[in-house]
Amino acid sequence: MKSIRRCQHIISFIIVMFIIGMAVLVLKIQREAPFYMMNSDHHELGFVYDRKGDVLFDGTGENQYPDNYFIDIGNIIGDDSGQMNNTLVAQNIEKLNNYSFSGGLTSNGRASIYTTMDHEANRAVYNAFGYQEGCVVAYNYATGDILVSTSLPSIDVTKGYDAIDSFKPGTLMSKTLYKTIPGSTQKVSTVISALEIMGAEKLFSKSFTCTGQYINRTGLNIDCHNIYGHGTLNIQQAVENSCNPFFAQLIEDDDLPLDRLIEQYRKLGYAVNGDEDKYFDIDGIQCERASTNLTDKYEFTTQWGCIGQGDTIVSPMQLMMWQSAIANGTGRMTMPHLIDHCVNVNGTVTDTAKVEYSEQLFSPDTAATMKQILLTNGANHYAYSISGYNVGVKSGTAQVDEGANENSLLVGFVDDPAFPVAFCILIEKKNEGFLTTEQIAQVLLDNLRADF
Amino acid sequence: MNSMNLILCAVAATALDLCTLILIITAYREKRSATKNWDWVANSMELAEQGMTYDLGCDEILIGRHASADIRLPDLSVSRYHAMLTVSNGRWTITDIGSKSGVFVNGNLVHEAVLHENDIIKLGNRRLVFRKRRDERVR
Amino acid sequence: MYANPVAYIFSCIFVLLAHSSMLVNIYFNGNYTDIKEVIVLGTAVLILDIVYFVVMLFFKQISYAVDFLLILILNMSVIFQSCFGGVGFNLKHYITCIAALVACKAGFLFCRNHKWIQEQKKLIYAAIGCLMVIILLFTGSRSMWINFSSFSIQPSEFIKPLFVLACATSVMDQQRRHKILFVNVVYENIALLGLTGAIVLLQWWCRDLGSLPTFMGIYACGFLLRICYPKAKFSKKKLIFAGALLLVVAVIGIRFAPEYVQHRLHVDIWNDKNGDGWQQAQALIGIANGGWFGVGPGKGYLHNIFAYDCDIVFSTICEEWGLLYGLMMVCVILIMIAIPLINPPRSYFHGTMSAGVCAAFVVQMALNIFGSCNLIPFTGVTIPFISTGGSSMVVSGLMIGMLMACQSPVFKEPKNKKKLKPVPAWRWTE
Repeated sequence: MKSIRRCQHIISFIIVMFIIGMAVLVLKIQREAPFYMMNSDHHELGFVYDRKGDVLFDGTGENQYPDNYFIDIGNIIGDDSGQMNNTLVAQNIEKLNNYSFSGGLTSNGRASIYTTMDHEANRAVYNAFGYQEGCVVAYNYATGDILVSTSLPSIDVTKGYDAIDSFKPGTLMSKTLYKTIPGSTQKVSTVISALEIMGAEKLFSKSFTCTGQYINRTGLNIDCHNIYGHGTLNIQQAVENSCNPFFAQLIEDDDLPLDRLIEQYRKLGYAVNGDEDKYFDIDGIQCERASTNLTDKYEFTTQWGCIGQGDTIVSPMQLMMWQSAIANGTGRMTMPHLIDHCVNVNGTVTDTAKVEYSEQLFSPDTAATMKQILLTNGANHYAYSISGYNVGVKSGTAQVDEGANENSLLVGFVDDPAFPVAFCILIEKKNEGFLTTEQIAQVLLDNLRADF
Repeated sequence: MNSMNLILCAVAATALDLCTLILIITAYREKRSATKNWDWVANSMELAEQGMTYDLGCDEILIGRHASADIRLPDLSVSRYHAMLTVSNGRWTITDIGSKSGVFVNGNLVHEAVLHENDIIKLGNRRLVFRKRRDERVR
Repeated sequence: MYANPVAYIFSCIFVLLAHSSMLVNIYFNGNYTDIKEVIVLGTAVLILDIVYFVVMLFFKQISYAVDFLLILILNMSVIFQSCFGGVGFNLKHYITCIAALVACKAGFLFCRNHKWIQEQKKLIYAAIGCLMVIILLFTGSRSMWINFSSFSIQPSEFIKPLFVLACATSVMDQQRRHKILFVNVVYENIALLGLTGAIVLLQWWCRDLGSLPTFMGIYACGFLLRICYPKAKFSKKKLIFAGALLLVVAVIGIRFAPEYVQHRLHVDIWNDKNGDGWQQAQALIGIANGGWFGVGPGKGYLHNIFAYDCDIVFSTICEEWGLLYGLMMVCVILIMIAIPLINPPRSYFHGTMSAGVCAAFVVQMALNIFGSCNLIPFTGVTIPFISTGGSSMVVSGLMIGMLMACQSPVFKEPKNKKKLKPVPAWRWTE
């Protein structure tokens, strides 16, 4: 009867809606169960390995390792204690948990993360610093594999955090990810912008004179590090000599309009004049993006901002990534990654890394010209200090702590298809010791070379 | 989760599944007794007119012209809500619920009347016979 | 059941088998210190089964499927509640289960003859009114409970079955239209609307916003089964109109909801883990921990969380017995409610009553399960028969009794029925 059927239809409708809701719930639970377990207090974590199978993190906590075995990677690989959030383990703990919805939590599962790091090379670089502080990051710019990332001071996570009050500042963070004053390495960005805006021919035709200092159009001094001046220079010589007055005049030049400069800086990835802060994501780890203020190209802070001080701050990781855009000749950065592949609790390989590129930052012609400039700089001035490699480099010295200290930086790449490494080296408070960035670069490249 | 626990859980789940299945089958079997009971309550009657028979499946049946009437007579002489058939104590009663043309049982205009076998009900121009159901229920 | 003795025997055997397999699982897999606990639990469950199988034969029913499903789910719930955290016989829940069975049979006897209930409609309204007055006067400071020395009852739960009866209607009742200012109305529908409004206001006052969807669900069923009936030609338009109205009301309700409701709607349970999202976060972790087959009876840790046995009981069961078992338990309740689809009711009153009962059960289960798993904001309603709570169990038993009554109806006219005045044909309007 129709009236009874109507009642039955309503009952069916209600039950069907409920069953749909339950189906949605079961699917949601199945998909998100590893995330829920990550938030519980019980974990059965696996291992993190380097590219050769060496242990970088032991989630079981049951094995013995030599003293300070993990100190060089402490603040980039991290652990599950919750003390260091911006580390590989903290951001990927779900992948390390030996859990699956059908199998539950097991203590002898095969969950692990295989990273691209070279622990041996990383340790060698760490040891080379001695008692000084700073950071080094190096990666394969053909594949994006991060090979070395160490930051001093650091921590061996197996030792715990009882002495946390006496840790030196910066122990629990990897300085490669955070913005710092770039010093003259900033000139790389300025030259790239100039090449893009005015073209190689015009840029190479420019010549300016350096007398040790330059009084800019607003009446303030731009000092050169060479008080006697470099004389008349072209762009290649200005880069090799890292001449500040040349660059100040270049910036004031009419062929380099400020709005186009700002546009190109934004394309490179700077947050200019109060743009929203953004981050790179490297397998869950956040790396800060550069920022600067460029307001008036005749004005002191803006000019210094393009030269290497002022309001400009960049992370070593991003400095290294720009080198890859130059070295691979395309004008697109190779995006770095730390994880090569993961293995889940059952032993199946998941999450294999792929090569990824950024959007076009500058044209391939600019890349080629810039590459030549840096290679010439490397050949002319660094062939002895970084021997055995065809490198393109730019050095920098940054005034920090309001002029009280100086940091030494070196960015560069190796021009060899069989050894495509880009790097960035930072030594903090360089005057407190005798270490140079070239020495670190030699140790870095020698140790990496052994495995290519 | 060792295999012994898994097997026990699976066994308990299977037992519950089986039980549920058996109870559903029981419910279907009982449908027959329910139908038989209803046949007893409704005296196995049906309404028939030329070429159509109408089953009397529940205890309040609306007869009329509109779309959701239990017995729909799409004839303009029949009102939208014409009459209601009700059963109680084993007897069927027809009631006029506000029709324009009235309800005639065996030729008499009635408001409410008890129906007997083979009574002829006239609603507007339509004629229905109240008779015992002809086809045998499948046992 | 005399007509189907074979079906009866088989049903008894399989229900006993289902419970026994659960008990065997507890024996081998469970977390208990003393084997006596398991034996006491097993004996109590099996005895209740057998006693009920005998008692139900004394009630002459056409169909016993609902009875079997009821005893299945009740004893399952006794077993679940006795295992949370460690095997130990939960006497209080056992007694409330027996009370539920008694209430079920009472509901069955009460609702078999729908014509008699229709005569008592006014009494039902009066009873609801009395309960509302009791709630206003006796529950302490805007809460839902009346506390006696050793136990407490929740009077708003008892309004539910009475409200289901008030929402049930027969075809004849819908035909009693009267003309008021050019509109044909049925007085009963207006009275029901007024009653619903009063109940909504009362629940608002008591801050029991969890039960509000249940009452609205029952009213929606009653409403749909009323408006769809007389004027089928306009029902589609009316449905769309009603749907749009509902949407507008919902949006307004959410915009202007009081503070604590707004907070519940916007809580991110993972970031706010130690605040409002705590129970739901733990519930989800518990379900993930259990997986498909559970960690074992008594071996869960959710029993340490507040309201593990009523508000987040689904997760507690899924943790100990597995998600598969939890889903099957929900399935059993759904089949119990879907029995009117297998064996249709034979009167519109019983049909609307079973639709109301179905709505009440499904809405409650949906609120509890989806709320504890963070698909919708968390409310404090119980799953019928599974959660502890005396009032909830008794009321659920009553409503299943009503469902049983639909399956075994009685069609007797009350002896002192009022005769309608015969009105000549030409005086009636369309």
